[in-house]
Amino acid sequence: MTGHKPQEAEQEPKLPLPPTPSRKGRGSFGSSSPSSSHPFPLAFSPSLLRLLSPRTHRLLGSIAIYAGYIVVSTIFLFPLLWVASLSLRPMAELFAFPPHLIPQHPTLAAYRDVLIGSPLALYLLNSVKLVSATVLCALAIAIPSAYALSRLRFRQPALKSLVMLGMLAVQLISPLVTALPLYRWFSALGLINSHAALILVYVALSAPFATWMLTGFLDAVPVALDEAARIDGCTRLQSLLRVLLPVMLPGLASTAILLAISTWGQFIVPFVLLTRGDLYPVSVGILDYQSSSDSVSTHLLAAAAILSALPAMLTFIVLQRFIVGALTAGAVKG
Amino acid sequence: MIVARRRPIEDRPFLWLAPLFLLLATLYLYPLIDVTRLSLTDATDAATPAHYTLASYRSALGSSEFVAMMQVTGIFVTASVAGQLVFGMLIAALVCEGERRRLPGAAIVRAIVLVGWVLPGVVIGIIWKLLLDESGAGIMAYASSLLGARNPMFLSAPLPALVWVTIANIWRGTAFSMIMQYAGMKTVPPELYEAATVDGAGALQKFRYITLPMLRGILLINVVLITIATLNTFDMVLPLTGGGPGRATEVIALYIYHLVFSEFQFGRGAAVAVVLMLIGLALSACYARMLQKERAA
Repeated sequence: MTGHKPQEAEQEPKLPLPPTPSRKGRGSFGSSSPSSSHPFPLAFSPSLLRLLSPRTHRLLGSIAIYAGYIVVSTIFLFPLLWVASLSLRPMAELFAFPPHLIPQHPTLAAYRDVLIGSPLALYLLNSVKLVSATVLCALAIAIPSAYALSRLRFRQPALKSLVMLGMLAVQLISPLVTALPLYRWFSALGLINSHAALILVYVALSAPFATWMLTGFLDAVPVALDEAARIDGCTRLQSLLRVLLPVMLPGLASTAILLAISTWGQFIVPFVLLTRGDLYPVSVGILDYQSSSDSVSTHLLAAAAILSALPAMLTFIVLQRFIVGALTAGAVKG
Repeated sequence: MIVARRRPIEDRPFLWLAPLFLLLATLYLYPLIDVTRLSLTDATDAATPAHYTLASYRSALGSSEFVAMMQVTGIFVTASVAGQLVFGMLIAALVCEGERRRLPGAAIVRAIVLVGWVLPGVVIGIIWKLLLDESGAGIMAYASSLLGARNPMFLSAPLPALVWVTIANIWRGTAFSMIMQYAGMKTVPPELYEAATVDGAGALQKFRYITLPMLRGILLINVVLITIATLNTFDMVLPLTGGGPGRATEVIALYIYHLVFSEFQFGRGAAVAVVLMLIGLALSACYARMLQKERAA
C-alpha cells in the first residue's frame, strides 16, 4: 500500500465537473470500459490482489460477485420458499423433525381447503373488484391532471411546482391519519361497509402518485406531436385522447401496474372503514384468518398467505422489466 | 401578440385539475384539518359529541406510555433505516458490478429482492410469523436448536421481538433503497472510475471518493423516504406481534390505532396522529427541498 495514493484519489472527483452525467453513462458500460479489471467495490485488500495476474484477479472478483448473488437471493427467497413448503405439506409433516424444505409427500390439499372451506376466495374477489375500480378511476382522474401539468401554461409557474410538491406530500402522510376523521364521517353518513366509498378513498390515495408518474411520461412525449394534431383542428381533449394516450400506452401500463400492486396491499383504510367480514379485501381478510387459525392449521395459513400474495407477485414477475424501468426512471427524476 | 384576450377555457390548467383537487380536498385535505380539530377535543368514539380541550395533548403526550412508545418507534425507525440503506447499497453495488462485467444473473437477483417489496405488508408479517414460530413448525427455532439454543424466544420476549420486527422490516424495505441507489449508480459516468484506476485508486477509495459523493443527493432523498415509510409502518407489525409482547413493539401507528379503537380515546389518538402528521410534513418539506436541489444540479 503506498501512502500517497489516497490523496490523489481525493482530488479525483473534482476533475470532471460540472457533474452533468454524460448520456454514455446510462447504457453501454462495457464498451466504454472494457479493459479495467478493478474489482470495485468487492476487493477489500487491493494490495494483495495486485500480486495476482489480471485474469485470476478478474475471475476471483466474478466468483465473489456470484457468492454475493447467492447470499442475497437466499436471504430474500428463503422466507417465501419456506412458506410455500409449509403450504404443500400434509398436516402430519408440519412438525417433522428435522424439517425438510421439500415436503416428502407434497399435496395441494391445503389450497383446496382454503379456497373451498374458508372465505379466502371471497376476499380475493373483493380485492380484484376494489383494485380494478380504483385503478380505472385513478387513471381517469390522473390523465387530465397530468395533461394540465405537462402541457398547459400556469399563470404563476410557482403554483405548478406547489401543486407537484403538494401531491408528493399527500403520499407521505400515513393513511391512518386521514382514516380517523373519515371513520367518524362515514359512521355518521352510514358509509362504513360501503365498497363505493372505500374506492373513493383509495382513489384519493393513489391519484396523486398516478398524476406524478403520468406527468413524467407525458413530459417525455414531444410537444410537436400534439401541436400537429391541434393544427389539424383537434381540441386539446381530442389531441390528448387520440394522439397522446396511444403514444404513452407503456407509461399508462406501468402506472396501472404500480397502482394495482400498491392498492392490493392497501391495509389501513379497509381495516378501519370495513367491519363486515364478507366485504374484506384479502389484506384484511387474511389477518382475520390468521387470528382464527392455530398451529395445527399452519399449512392452511401458509397456503392462504401464498394465495393472497400471488396476484401481486405474478403481476410483478411477468411485467418486471416494465416496473423496474418505471421505478428507476422515477427514482432519478424524483 | 394579443395579451388582453381571454384564454380559451380549455387552456386553463385548473379545469383539468379540478377532479383531482376536489377529491383531495374532500378526502385528504379536509380530513387532515378535521383530525387536527378532533385532537383538540375529548372525543371518545365516533358517535358522541365532544368538547374542546387541550387535555388530550397533555394526557397523550405527557403519559409514560407515550414516552415508551416513542422510544420503541425511535429504535425501530433508526435501525430499519440504517439497515435498509446499508443493505440496499451493498446489493445495488453488487448488481451494478455484475452488470458491468456482463455476468448473467444480475436481473434475476434484482427481481428476487424486489419480490419482497411487492408483497402486501400483512403477508410479510405472516411469513415472518411462520418463520419465527417458536413451536416445532418454525424453521428459525430449528436452526437455533442446531446452534444449541433450547426453547428460543423470538417474538415472546420484548427485546428479541423488537429486533425481529426490525429485521422483518429491513427485509421488506431493502428493495426500495436498492432500486434507488442502483438507479443513482447508473448515472455515475464510468470515465470517473477509469480515471481513478489510472491514478491507482483501489476499490474502496473509488467507492469512498466517487460513488458516495455522486450518490449524495439520492442517498439523502432515500433516507427521508424510508424514514417516512418506516414511521408509517402498521400492516406488517399487526400479524407479527400485534404490538406485543406487552407493548414492546407498539410503534406509533399501532399506538394511535389502539388508543382510538380499543381504548376509545379518540381525542388522544387524534393528538398522537397529529404528531405523526407533523413529522411526516416536516420530512416532506425536507424531501421537497432536496428534490429541487437535485433538479437544479
